[in-house]
Amino acid sequence: MKRIYLSLITILSLMGSAYADRLVIKGSDTLGAKLVPQLAEQFKAQHPGTTFDIAAEGSTTGIAAIIDGTAQIGMSSRRAKSSEVGQAAAKGINMKPTVVAYDGIAVIVNAGNPVKSLTKKQVEQIFTGEATDWSAVGGSGGKISVYTRNTSSGTYSDFKELAMKKRDYAPGSQKMAGNEQIASEVGKNPAGIGYVGMAYTKAGGVKVVSIDGATPSIQSVQNHSYPYWRPTFYYTNGEPGGVAKTFVDFTLSSVGQKIVNQVGFVPIK
Amino acid sequence: MLKRFIYILAAASFIFGGIAAKAQDAGALLDLLVRKKIINDQEAEEVRAELTKEAAATSAGKWKLSTPITELELYGDARLRYEYRSGQTEGGVSPPNDWQERKRERYRLRIGLRGVLADDWFFGVRLETSQNPRSTNVTFGDDTSTTSGSTTTINGPFAKNSDGINVGQAYLGYRGFKDITLTGGKMPNPLVTTLMTWDADINPEGVAEQWKHTFTFNFGGGGVEQAQQSYAKDSKNLAITKTSEPWKLKVDLFANFAQFIYDDVNPENPVGAPRTSGGKLVPTTDAWLLAWQVGARFTFPNNLYAQLAPTLYNYTGNGDTFNGHFVGGDPALSNSDSLSTNQWGINSLLVFDMPMEIGWKIGELPVRIFGDFAVNFEADDRAKAAGFPGKGDQRYAYQIGAGIGQLKAKNDWQLQAFWQHTEQFSLDPNLVDSDFFDSRVNIEGVVVQAGYALSDAVIFNLSYGYGWAADKSLGTGGTGDIGINPLNKYQIFQADLNVKF
Repeated sequence: MKRIYLSLITILSLMGSAYADRLVIKGSDTLGAKLVPQLAEQFKAQHPGTTFDIAAEGSTTGIAAIIDGTAQIGMSSRRAKSSEVGQAAAKGINMKPTVVAYDGIAVIVNAGNPVKSLTKKQVEQIFTGEATDWSAVGGSGGKISVYTRNTSSGTYSDFKELAMKKRDYAPGSQKMAGNEQIASEVGKNPAGIGYVGMAYTKAGGVKVVSIDGATPSIQSVQNHSYPYWRPTFYYTNGEPGGVAKTFVDFTLSSVGQKIVNQVGFVPIK
Repeated sequence: MLKRFIYILAAASFIFGGIAAKAQDAGALLDLLVRKKIINDQEAEEVRAELTKEAAATSAGKWKLSTPITELELYGDARLRYEYRSGQTEGGVSPPNDWQERKRERYRLRIGLRGVLADDWFFGVRLETSQNPRSTNVTFGDDTSTTSGSTTTINGPFAKNSDGINVGQAYLGYRGFKDITLTGGKMPNPLVTTLMTWDADINPEGVAEQWKHTFTFNFGGGGVEQAQQSYAKDSKNLAITKTSEPWKLKVDLFANFAQFIYDDVNPENPVGAPRTSGGKLVPTTDAWLLAWQVGARFTFPNNLYAQLAPTLYNYTGNGDTFNGHFVGGDPALSNSDSLSTNQWGINSLLVFDMPMEIGWKIGELPVRIFGDFAVNFEADDRAKAAGFPGKGDQRYAYQIGAGIGQLKAKNDWQLQAFWQHTEQFSLDPNLVDSDFFDSRVNIEGVVVQAGYALSDAVIFNLSYGYGWAADKSLGTGGTGDIGINPLNKYQIFQADLNVKF
């Protein structure tokens, strides 16, 4: 009997702490590597006692976490797929998206590459493997090394949709775990090309190429004139409540959006 | 309120756009509304999420297709059939004037998927009942027992031994070159044919190259001519002009080339000594059926059209099944001996074939006259090899028929009749239609057909055919359902209920 009481007390105390202060956030590497940790730091400063558990392993994991109830907020740099929405509905989960920031997917090449601009068609040809040599797209020659995100990444599927007409990536493309890895590899490889969120374009050894004359900037993303712009999301099960709602509201507040800007994303207003 | 209105608007575009439209497809409308600043991105995303949720709950939303598929069609048909088929031996054949009759209740099922892939590729797969290349029918109750050697196994009533599903079509193609279609695999027949030369159920195997180009010619007209002077209500002159319609001729030119693998020999080079049969080496080259077809369809004003498609067929190699010399039966033998002669050899066949059709409309009713003519240029050799050296003149085949009506929509009807005459050494008996006239050559007769569309997808058909040996001094070559050769007084009656989907 004593053991039962102790167990109940333990469970209740854990539940109490979880509901009160602990916020589990999973998903997008694009959001979770820089932006959300910085938002969390600022939030903790305003709400002492709140603890965060942030896992940034790709948008797919964030949406899955909402469906299986292992996170209060799912970070995603892409929209939930209809199959995911269907799975969620079958479990009684209502996938609610909240746009928290805009992003532009920048196409980056090695800083020493003479190519400064590409057309949308050329980008499609490069990433699908139709164009395999830099000379085919105005470069000085040499086999193109394509770096992409891995398949659990929202940026991986967003780029496929935005830039590749949903076609498959080139068979020889190298899949990287995060934006920083792509920027690092392209920075080291003179024949490299990849894509990263706007927040990662300042990495050393890389440069951003313009697409049909447009470069990713706050203005071109906000007015949607840059072709590879996208919204980024927090997904919740219906309207968020408790500390999750407080954190979502904080992200959308002027303080939160200032951090969005500082980290390299584009504020929603 | 605004969001609700937008949702209704997007949902309406979704519904009227068809179920195939995904929720994401409403994105263009939502993007436009965002650009016009009627709604913001957050509101657009909420509408989009709601539409995605609804779409995911529909049947179509639960299907997932791989990205390279840009279009996919599920299609097929199911048919219930009652068939009566009979024939009689000739008076001088043993046994004389004996009837064989078959009454069968049958069904067939064909289910296919055809799709378009990215970059101008396409594919098709169709599953069919029956293993017979010239029939997809399964006979109810014919598999209650199975005999293997001297052992008979009782399968029971309603057994499933005959109800197998087979791959009827499996092909891949490319349309990346202007006007050209390239296809490889087990495919729908790419040639323009009639039942006289090809059974409609045959899906040949190999490769095909098709070219088609449309030319449109305008004759006269097109100018502006002055009409009679007219007056407006205010009595002022009105300069009325009208444009005369040019006389248009549309010409579809086409060319179909095919290389079909007729009979594969394996191994081509066996271990040990080459195989022999009757002291002769057994051929070890694959048999190919090659077809060259060029044609044109002329479409004149007022729905008048004419089409002809001259074709040359020849065979290369020998194969290991069809390399014997065709005999096709012999009325001088008993019926059983006549049947056991070679009915399938493809030696000495160089066939010129010309299917043709002319059509027009009487009011809204389509009318057509169709026909086919074929001649085997090597009939002399084929007759000689069969043991009938004086019968090389039996080289022609022809068909002439007429039809009225169509079966496209509910309450449509169609009547059709044709006369057909095929001589013993004119055609490949392995390809001719298996119903009219029992997969045979050296037979002539008449076929009448009537059809009525009970709904857009359900068609009721009645067919009757009657035929007899064209040259009674020869057998009726080919392997059919009636075990009689030469076949006389052949009759077939079919009542079909077809459902297409």
